[in-house]
Amino acid sequence: MTYSEVENVTGYIGNFKVTIRKKARYVDEKECNACGDCVKVCPSCTPDEYQMGFSTRKGIYIPFPQAVPSSYLIDMKTCLGNNPIACAKCQEVCEKKCIDFDAKDEVVTVDVGAIIVAVGNDVYDPTELDEYGYRSYENVITSMEFERLICAGGPTEGHFIRPSDRTRPKSIGFIQCVGSRSKKRGNPYCSNICCMNTIKDTVLLKDHYPDTDVKVFYMDIRAFGKGFEDLYMKSKDEGVHYVRGLPGEVEENPETGNLIVTVENTTTGKIEKHELELLVLSVGLLPRKDSDVVRQLLTLSRTSDGFLMESHPKLKPVDAPTRGVFLAGCAEAPKDVKDSVTQASAAAARANVILASDKLTVEAITAHIDPDLCKYCGLCVKVCPYKAITPTDRKKKIAPQVIEAACAGCGTCGAECPFDSISMRHFTDAQIYAQIDAILDTNSQDKVVVFACNWCSYAGGDFAGISRLQYPVSNRLIRTMCSGRVKDEFVLYAFRKGAPVVLVSGCHFADCHYIDANRQTQLRVEKLWDKLEKNGIRPERLQLEWISAAEGQKFAVVMKAVEELRQKVTAEEIEHTKEVLAPKPKKKPVEEAASSA
Amino acid sequence: MVRADGAEDLRVGVFVCACGLNIAASVDVEEVRKFAETLPDVAVAVLNKYTCADPGQQEIKRYILEHKLNRVVVASCSPRMHEPTFRQCVAEAGVNPYLLEMTNLREHCSWVHSTDRVAATEKAKDMVKISVARARLLESQDETEIPVTNRALVIGGGIAGIQAALDLGDAGYQVYLVEKEPSIGGIMAQLDKTYPTMDCSI
Amino acid sequence: MAQEADFKCLRCGNSFRAPYSPETEPQERACPNCKSNSVRRVKEQKEAPGKK
Ligand code: SF4
Ligand code: SF4
Ligand SMILES: [Zn+2]
Repeated sequence: MTYSEVENVTGYIGNFKVTIRKKARYVDEKECNACGDCVKVCPSCTPDEYQMGFSTRKGIYIPFPQAVPSSYLIDMKTCLGNNPIACAKCQEVCEKKCIDFDAKDEVVTVDVGAIIVAVGNDVYDPTELDEYGYRSYENVITSMEFERLICAGGPTEGHFIRPSDRTRPKSIGFIQCVGSRSKKRGNPYCSNICCMNTIKDTVLLKDHYPDTDVKVFYMDIRAFGKGFEDLYMKSKDEGVHYVRGLPGEVEENPETGNLIVTVENTTTGKIEKHELELLVLSVGLLPRKDSDVVRQLLTLSRTSDGFLMESHPKLKPVDAPTRGVFLAGCAEAPKDVKDSVTQASAAAARANVILASDKLTVEAITAHIDPDLCKYCGLCVKVCPYKAITPTDRKKKIAPQVIEAACAGCGTCGAECPFDSISMRHFTDAQIYAQIDAILDTNSQDKVVVFACNWCSYAGGDFAGISRLQYPVSNRLIRTMCSGRVKDEFVLYAFRKGAPVVLVSGCHFADCHYIDANRQTQLRVEKLWDKLEKNGIRPERLQLEWISAAEGQKFAVVMKAVEELRQKVTAEEIEHTKEVLAPKPKKKPVEEAASSA
Repeated sequence: MVRADGAEDLRVGVFVCACGLNIAASVDVEEVRKFAETLPDVAVAVLNKYTCADPGQQEIKRYILEHKLNRVVVASCSPRMHEPTFRQCVAEAGVNPYLLEMTNLREHCSWVHSTDRVAATEKAKDMVKISVARARLLESQDETEIPVTNRALVIGGGIAGIQAALDLGDAGYQVYLVEKEPSIGGIMAQLDKTYPTMDCSI
Repeated sequence: MAQEADFKCLRCGNSFRAPYSPETEPQERACPNCKSNSVRRVKEQKEAPGKK
């Protein structure tokens, strides 16, 4: 399905339901035989995206000759005749009558068992680097534009010319690491492909036009792959001149359109000036901007560079943190064609593991509602992010039920129910109380009770460990699947038992592995702050932090911060807390319900 | 052999892992093991060099059978890493996988408190105590099976997406390939030649 | 248009103003000073502080 976007994803591994919007092409792709009659009559012209704007295309167009599907489509932004039909010239000439101006976007829903995310990358736009003069000087182009200019299918049919005077440049310079490996502008990481891409371009140039003088300005050349070094050597042998040093300034000679490049050659330590007829900026890769939509739909995370995070950097490099979802290509990190293909095949093989089985087992961590305890308040139905709980009926006294296949086991309902009628398999209230007891029955004053969600904050703690970050020993973690599992009563119980500080931690809002269950966490904590304050307890003693799986650093910082807070909590304070919270523990849940209803 | 029944005697086995020196370097694992023996309902506490390795797992199984264990605490690394390993291990010895509890002595203790052996050991003991407290209340669970739809979705029709879709297609599955632009091909279709072998990109 | 409210950081004690609108609550917030997410809205003023 081309010209289509994923709009929504629900479900879970083995059983995803995906809503896809097929944008209207206004040309029936099955009928169209790409005769091109329509193009001749279309009066509207617009820069051609495929040719990087070096040529134009019509309002009705085919993206590029080898496009699949090989069918025309109408770009409604540039078409003149959509509504009211002012033009419609194409419709008149189309013999097969496949043009339909009334075509509508089509929304389809498909069921799938596994999803591969291969959303690719964007290319860095070097406009912000004004010292290189991209966009101010005509003969400064990007490596993507270079590809079009040298391509036989390009706007010049492979006759390599420079933009200003359409003559063949005799001297060409390449600047490396444009938008990469810079902490100040662009991106800090190495974009992986640009060194080799430039080497390839220089070899192409030398093949086509051996008399061209080619220079490459670089920091380091990274030619680490199979056959890469050979190509680099070939490029050097053919006379490409490699200058170590990135130019500080580019100026244009307004008469000739030539460019004067000033560079400190770090090999010789001298400042050099080079006059070149064409300058190519070897631009880096960026995470794809619109991948955020897909990321949120599938609850994936990003690493600090903005690319999608894998489940484990070495052992599960193509698995996404969400089960049943896999990553391929530049969505995960900048990579070349070979690596993209390798990773894509790996992702397909991983998906195959799921698809090849008829059934899989899900962890037995779902919720269960005891109809005898239920008071039909309906709160659980409201908070379940998966809509996994059937509605209640107060009058008919119908208790809600958990649909097991849909329940993801976040525990939010269990934390919300004011009447303790929901039990979470494998994360029962009793188990959690026992853990709190075990933490606090000795030296309680020295410990910080930490509730950590499995996916992010607990994993962030693991990452702190893997990174060997050091932090104080006072924390004691209680792992739950989601921070939404943390009942207010757990926190109050801990304070009643003498906890100096309690920390509730979970995923950042955008990363919640249970859609938005952690919103409930925040609401609960906010209510608890009010409650603590009302009882004369410093709300500071209850902390809330969002820590992602990649934020080992933040985990360590938070652990230090809570320890500092703990040291400020006095023994009298703890005693006072025990007293004010002790007398009427039974009534508390009821009050909560009343205030939240 | 599954003892889920709370009425039955609890018999907890604690397996403390040295993880080579990963844990043992900053935590006195023998002291932790001895301490574990004093905890309620602990039938046996064992020290292993590498619990996750085959001999370590064999040892767990042997102790389960010999000591009729019905709860198992493995004090080693993160459950995010090895919970599936040990769940399978105890299941092979006839204990329901949900009667396993892990203590994260490595990521959450030895690696992050490597300069204070005494304090790290105290924390490790406490962590094992918390795990045993939880383990005593664990119940066996039956996993539910869910059906799998034998179709796949590939988002993105660049080279990676196309390759993944073709592979899955060749494996005999129906694949939906969703591409935002009017044609598949992605960025690669805009390139002229590709390195290192200089072949054509389309 | 954008409404604001007073917030207080429960880690470092920093007070600050940040966008706030009851319809879009809850929101993830971080203290501009110490980056803590333990950020609490200061409610006392009976008047909802609209545009300033
Ligand atoms: S545990 Fe979470 S997903 Fe399951 S029913 Fe409760 S709220 Fe819904
Ligand atoms: S929250 Fe509890 S009491 Fe209310 S409807 Fe759900 S199960 Fe019943
Ligand atoms: Zn702060």
